[in-house]
Amino acid sequence: MNRLSFRDEIKKNKISSYFLIGIVFFVLLALTYTIAFIIGGDYFFIILIIGIPISIAYILIGFYKSDKIAIASANAKLAKQQEYRQYHNLVEGLCLASGLPKPKLYVMQNPQINAFASGRDPQHAVVCVTTGLLEKLNKQEIEGVLAHELSHIANYDIRFMTLTAVLVGMIAIISQIFLRTLFWSSISGRSNRENNNAVLMIIGIILAILAPIIVALVQLAISRKREYAADSSAVKFMRTPTGLIGALTKIKNNKPMKMSGAVAPLFIAKPSKAKEWFSTHPPLSERIKKLERM
Amino acid sequence: MIVWISIAIAVIIVAVFLIYYNRFVTLSHQIDNSLAQIDVQLRKRSDLIPNLLSAVKGYMKHERAAIKEVTDARKAMMSAKGIEKKMKAGNQMQEALKSIFAIAEGYPDLKASTNFLQLQQELSAIEDKVAYARQYYNDGIMTYNVMTSKVPGMWFASMYGFKTKEYLKIPKAAKAVPKIKF
Repeated sequence: MNRLSFRDEIKKNKISSYFLIGIVFFVLLALTYTIAFIIGGDYFFIILIIGIPISIAYILIGFYKSDKIAIASANAKLAKQQEYRQYHNLVEGLCLASGLPKPKLYVMQNPQINAFASGRDPQHAVVCVTTGLLEKLNKQEIEGVLAHELSHIANYDIRFMTLTAVLVGMIAIISQIFLRTLFWSSISGRSNRENNNAVLMIIGIILAILAPIIVALVQLAISRKREYAADSSAVKFMRTPTGLIGALTKIKNNKPMKMSGAVAPLFIAKPSKAKEWFSTHPPLSERIKKLERM
Repeated sequence: MIVWISIAIAVIIVAVFLIYYNRFVTLSHQIDNSLAQIDVQLRKRSDLIPNLLSAVKGYMKHERAAIKEVTDARKAMMSAKGIEKKMKAGNQMQEALKSIFAIAEGYPDLKASTNFLQLQQELSAIEDKVAYARQYYNDGIMTYNVMTSKVPGMWFASMYGFKTKEYLKIPKAAKAVPKIKF
């Protein structure tokens, strides 16, 4: 049995993540270029004037408030030191093991076993677990899950996933604006450059429809890669995969929880049932298999 | 043209020298900081000892030896200078606490007291934290030592006077594997 070195695993995952985010950028460039080419003239500047401030505001809010948005949408409460001693102690220990500052800790009322991390950097990070997790898992398993979440913080996955989510949202908005503008201009009959632009127009429409889908798939692929990386880093912090394997096995035997799609990539296990390609997380059995080889 | 190329090369060389120097300094600071973290945890444990003793005293009147061991360990901890000695005192304390908790198993009233349970939980959490802090310290030492002994880091290290550092060793008592008899 060949053993996987956790350091190699992290490096491999980082490289493929950069590759994937490159694709997202490429799609974004191709999309805006084609749109600029087709629409041209007056519309382009109008769209720019309205679009730029909105998209900048959108990115800034998404980036700086990501932790608060995630906490609010999960309806989580701050975990008090007195009430959740073990939770605090385990996180403090893992912070010592990883050299991270202690994140803010939250608890959400939910019988399912799950947890997530969010924030823009380790200094502004939050970790949230369900009450079900604290009740159903033993100390070592909780520690495994927390190590996984802290790995997302240490590997800057929380920032990365926030940025890709913002980017994916941007592309979706641009495509929408483009398609709507086209629709509007065609019914008002103002388009008079149809002949030389017909082919480009079709390409543009196809791109506008496909780009959000492609980019969303890429985002999901990145998210799945990052899960493996976080599992390996968790092993690096704890020096044993036992706790995480136990936790993932228990999650596997538990019913999935319902959670809105937007925060799904943040959780330790995917909160909804979806096909592999449309899933934010790799299958649990695959993750357990990889961990067992470490 | 040649002038510009030589200027560019000079800038790159200076940058490399600076980057290596800063890398060594950053790592040294990280190592010092993680050492301080170990110290913080050891001190927190010593601070909890009086609470533990007052919780235990009422029940363990006849266990003077075990209690004395803990107080001695605490004294040793308070007077220890330098991380090596502190770690040694810390391990002595860990052993002493182990025997206190083992004795406590024989006192159901004590085991039922929430105060005692909380202290026990807190002390075992500190033990985990000490282990994690030591792990992080040794990780830092490893990164640092690899850099000071690999080419080209080796050359820069000898030029700047950075030497390889010692790992924190686990004392023999803690490393000994208990024998299992059937």
